[in-house]
Amino acid sequence: MNTGKKVFAFAMLFACGMSSQAFAQQKGCIELKSTAQIEQEVVDAKGVKTKQLVEVTKVVPGAEVIWTVTASNICKQTSDAVTINNFVPEHFTYVANSATGPGADIAYSVDGKSFAKSGEVTVLDSGATRKARTDEFKHIRWSFKDSLQPGASTFASFRAVLN
Amino acid sequence: MLSLRNTSLTVTAALALGLITSPAHAVGVAAGTTINNTAEVTYSVGTVATTATSNTVSVTVAEILDVVVTAQTPSVAVTGGATQQRLVFRVTNTGNGPETFRLVMNSVIGGDEFDPTPSSPSIYFDTDASGDLSAGDTPYVVGSNDPVLGADAFVTVLVVNDIPTGVVDANRGLSRLLADSRTGTGAPGTTFAGQGQGGTDAVVGTTGADSDAQAQYLVAGVTVNAVKSQAVVDQFGGTRPVPGARINYTVVVGATGSGSATTSVFNDNVPANTTYVPGTLRLNGTLLSDGVDADAGVYEAAPTPRVRVTLGTLTQASGSQTITFAVTIN
Repeated sequence: MNTGKKVFAFAMLFACGMSSQAFAQQKGCIELKSTAQIEQEVVDAKGVKTKQLVEVTKVVPGAEVIWTVTASNICKQTSDAVTINNFVPEHFTYVANSATGPGADIAYSVDGKSFAKSGEVTVLDSGATRKARTDEFKHIRWSFKDSLQPGASTFASFRAVLN
Repeated sequence: MLSLRNTSLTVTAALALGLITSPAHAVGVAAGTTINNTAEVTYSVGTVATTATSNTVSVTVAEILDVVVTAQTPSVAVTGGATQQRLVFRVTNTGNGPETFRLVMNSVIGGDEFDPTPSSPSIYFDTDASGDLSAGDTPYVVGSNDPVLGADAFVTVLVVNDIPTGVVDANRGLSRLLADSRTGTGAPGTTFAGQGQGGTDAVVGTTGADSDAQAQYLVAGVTVNAVKSQAVVDQFGGTRPVPGARINYTVVVGATGSGSATTSVFNDNVPANTTYVPGTLRLNGTLLSDGVDADAGVYEAAPTPRVRVTLGTLTQASGSQTITFAVTIN
């Protein structure tokens, strides 16, 4: 941007910085932490390229962001029937087959109400029901088969591209 | 004595414009947009079911710097020596945030037969949206009124040149308009930290944050020729031009060159000491009435007796037009 409105731009930067640091934690046995990361190629001193995940607060259209929710059991009791619900953020498009979570059955939804396995999700289109495309997935549910032991953690992640 | 006047033709040539619009689309979500994500977990400890939410993670959409220049008039017909001939360009901000662009024109380009001479000023905004250079258009002054365009917005820009004399039919002269982002240009992915909308980063997009387009002036000359011939028929069966003899005139009008002669009109004065023979005016064999009416021909008795035929647009492709009429010698 270069519109000669630099004072305004600085004020906006300050406001955005504030909101991205807002942190919500819930009391209970499972603590959830959400992150947004992108894959960055890093070249070390020997010229070897590796991919690293780095947290992002600014993204450009077309960028693929990895949204990860980490669930940690901070109690001394086992947590059963752990289910994580997340949604594809506004202005993002889900990347097909990108949802993952250790030992989790993953279901998808277009409306956030009816969930089904990938390939079995339907959508109402002009009065008729048809199979939903993966780019129409807006909600994802991870149902973990195993209990979460005290001190253990698990994660649920997916990738989405900024429109 | 008999005196015959030469055929005179009135020809004016108008420019034909080609209009091509190339839609340019902005990339994605508006710069500065903040997008949030909060997850939820449900679980049970013993028989107690619990729901918890995560922190809210936010990302802000950075600004993409992209611009596309398109020529709205790929080829403009001109004649040698013409001044202030305009080419029409469109500069579109295909990024996702507001941006200021600098404009530069260049008429010294290879691959053509002549270099147009930039007029002064040589870049105008088409302020009145007429698509043509007019009194209401604002000259562009670099650094002073650089266009500020919102995402997806465009501005119509006129590049104005004079055409040198000495050019010949079918010569081409190229002129180019370049626009670049004032924030910066570079390889796609180049980042200007904190310089984007809302204090986000500005990132050079696929266009490199600069773009140019060129258009050409095409010298479209046209020459209209008229060849007149006559045949005298006297009342004694001979061909002597004596009083009472009839002269049948044939005039063949044709255009040569790549241009168009629009609103072509054929005028021919009836020679002194002769009288027009009513009902003899024909165009390509078709009889034209003498009166002023829907057809192309008319005989005017005053102030100077003459025949007049409206030919419309003449091009080389339209072929020759044959006009015939007759007079008698007084």
